[in-house]
Amino acid sequence: MTSSSATSRKALSKIASNRLQKELVEWQVNPPVGFKHKVTDNLQRWVIEVNGAPGTLYANETYQLQVDFPEHYPMEAPQVIFLPPAPLHPHIYSNGHICLDILYDSWSPAMTVSSVCISILSMLSSSTVKQRPEDNDRYVKNCRNGRSPKETRWWFHDDKV
Amino acid sequence: MFYFVETVFLDLLLPEFVLVLLNRWLWNPNSFIYLNHRWHAVASWTWDAQDETCGICRMAFDGCCPDCKLPGDDCPLIWGACNHAFHLHCILKWVNSQTSQAHCPMCRREWQFKE
Repeated sequence: MTSSSATSRKALSKIASNRLQKELVEWQVNPPVGFKHKVTDNLQRWVIEVNGAPGTLYANETYQLQVDFPEHYPMEAPQVIFLPPAPLHPHIYSNGHICLDILYDSWSPAMTVSSVCISILSMLSSSTVKQRPEDNDRYVKNCRNGRSPKETRWWFHDDKV
Repeated sequence: MFYFVETVFLDLLLPEFVLVLLNRWLWNPNSFIYLNHRWHAVASWTWDAQDETCGICRMAFDGCCPDCKLPGDDCPLIWGACNHAFHLHCILKWVNSQTSQAHCPMCRREWQFKE
């Protein structure tokens, strides 16, 4: 299940590949705590291992994030999803889609893969209950045919988790 | 960042000692001018930005954006009303990619070019 929109499959622009190379070097020198980049030669798709933070509901659990970069990164947000099995979380759907505003409406080109990872870990860490979003089944059914979460019209209402 | 001016043609025309004397007379030896393989730094410049790199492309301000070859006037910095600086080309790409009013990538305030 590796949904990717048509736009994210176009080759990276010069500014995008330039910036990603810098981000990769920066990541190798100073990786965010709790994350491991799985080395491939594909600059446009990163697979990142996430370790649940100690003392949280997800301690000792490992998940995988898949980050796909669009042609015009960083003017457009990367597509970030959890590879199955996605963590049980009120903002993470069973198909791996993540309801997090900075991945969509609130994206800023000053953000990096590293800062996005930290936001996702913080979202996991602040969870008090391991459950799926209320509308999980309806949403996942709607997303068959590998629709990208970037095509979803998200509704952000809960800033507590 | 230094601009270098080639003086190879002078070397061809003038003997070495004349060049050395010329350098002593023309330039204060303690200044930023130094001889290095016949290249002379004749001026230095830097952008007066708070950061050293552009928050959008992550390239140095003293360099240029990834779409340009030469730093300087052809790839200028621009400041927003919020005082955040970017390469002009980078912030224009961001502003033009937004369907509604663009926000400053650093502080999220509405992006306005500084008057």
